[in-house]
Amino acid sequence: MPAYRNIRLCGKDCMCLYVCPTGATNTENSIIDASKCIPGCMVCVTACPSGAISMIPDQYPPQQPKSTGVIAAQRTLGQSKVRQEKIAEAVAKATNSAVTNQFARAVAKSNLRMAEDILRESGYLLPQSGEVRELLTSLREKAGPGFPKDAAELLLTRLQG
Amino acid sequence: MKPMRRFKCSVCGYIYDESAGVPGQGITPGTTWEDLPEDFVCPLCMAPKGVFKLLEEAPHPDAGAGSAIIEDTHKAADGLDDGIKELSAGEISAICSSLAKGCEKQRLTEEMAAFNELADYFKTQVSDQGTSWDEVANELQEDMAARFERANAVARADEDRGALRSLVWSEKVSMMAKSLLERFAREGDAMLLNTKIFVCDICGLIMVGDVPPEICPVCKVPRFNIVEIERR
Repeated sequence: MPAYRNIRLCGKDCMCLYVCPTGATNTENSIIDASKCIPGCMVCVTACPSGAISMIPDQYPPQQPKSTGVIAAQRTLGQSKVRQEKIAEAVAKATNSAVTNQFARAVAKSNLRMAEDILRESGYLLPQSGEVRELLTSLREKAGPGFPKDAAELLLTRLQG
Repeated sequence: MKPMRRFKCSVCGYIYDESAGVPGQGITPGTTWEDLPEDFVCPLCMAPKGVFKLLEEAPHPDAGAGSAIIEDTHKAADGLDDGIKELSAGEISAICSSLAKGCEKQRLTEEMAAFNELADYFKTQVSDQGTSWDEVANELQEDMAARFERANAVARADEDRGALRSLVWSEKVSMMAKSLLERFAREGDAMLLNTKIFVCDICGLIMVGDVPPEICPVCKVPRFNIVEIERR
């Protein structure tokens, strides 16, 4: 379980530099050096006055199970948002007006964010979950031309529950 | 004298109290809802007047009606054949881009890139769904009229707090989108000509105004996650 520094929160208090026993926090790019970081040490997390350092968990708890009713209802909404995104993109492409194009891109982006959130809650929260594995496996089986096979392989190899 | 009423913004929860007005905006205490100008917008989130709802001590919605909806949905789920059960390219794309963000939170950089690659590929596989604002409005209308209610009823019955949370956000975001689409249908490009438009990169809330708020009125993420959609 190595430590991670959120650069957006880091106030350059430099307490982590002072307390770190190995110098893992002392890097030019401000990213904590995982090879020097002592797993589970936590000294920098406790010392940071800006609350900018957290520990990356080695393991995550399993997903909460989803009922078929919730899955169906979330997917029905998710499909609608995906459809609206696609139509808004088509509107953006077809128009000659820069303002209409701007509004249509905003509507498309908004719908994608909603679709991601709604569909994530249909059983795809955790990248390491069995549901995601099943999805990746079936995508690989049905791969059509142009399918990024290497990406799917990498995920199936690296993401073990 | 009529009792003073209160109206709640369904997007951010701001309450307009007739007895208080909004002195900062020149709306004096005692201004009734009807006397507020039609172009009144929520002082907090800029949502239009149309999304406000009268606050009353409402009795709880009839429990019987709720369970009928749940039964319907469970039936609908059982009735899904394999053809419908299969995820569409658009759904796969959205799931993969959301999983990419999940990997980003776990600092799995290469896995994030791989999910994004899959998301991009499936995005190119989405079939055409239409080309007009009306078609967007029709889908949205159906969401607001039935789909959210059904999803909320099922998620409540199952105590699925993750699903409920996603529905709270997306229903508010949809409401704002609907009112902006209606405004755009009336005003056309004039709606944005002299102002800016922003989208919250977390919940998708669309905001029209000169500056984005400090935090997103719906999901409360700080401003750095609210992006401007530029004219080009």
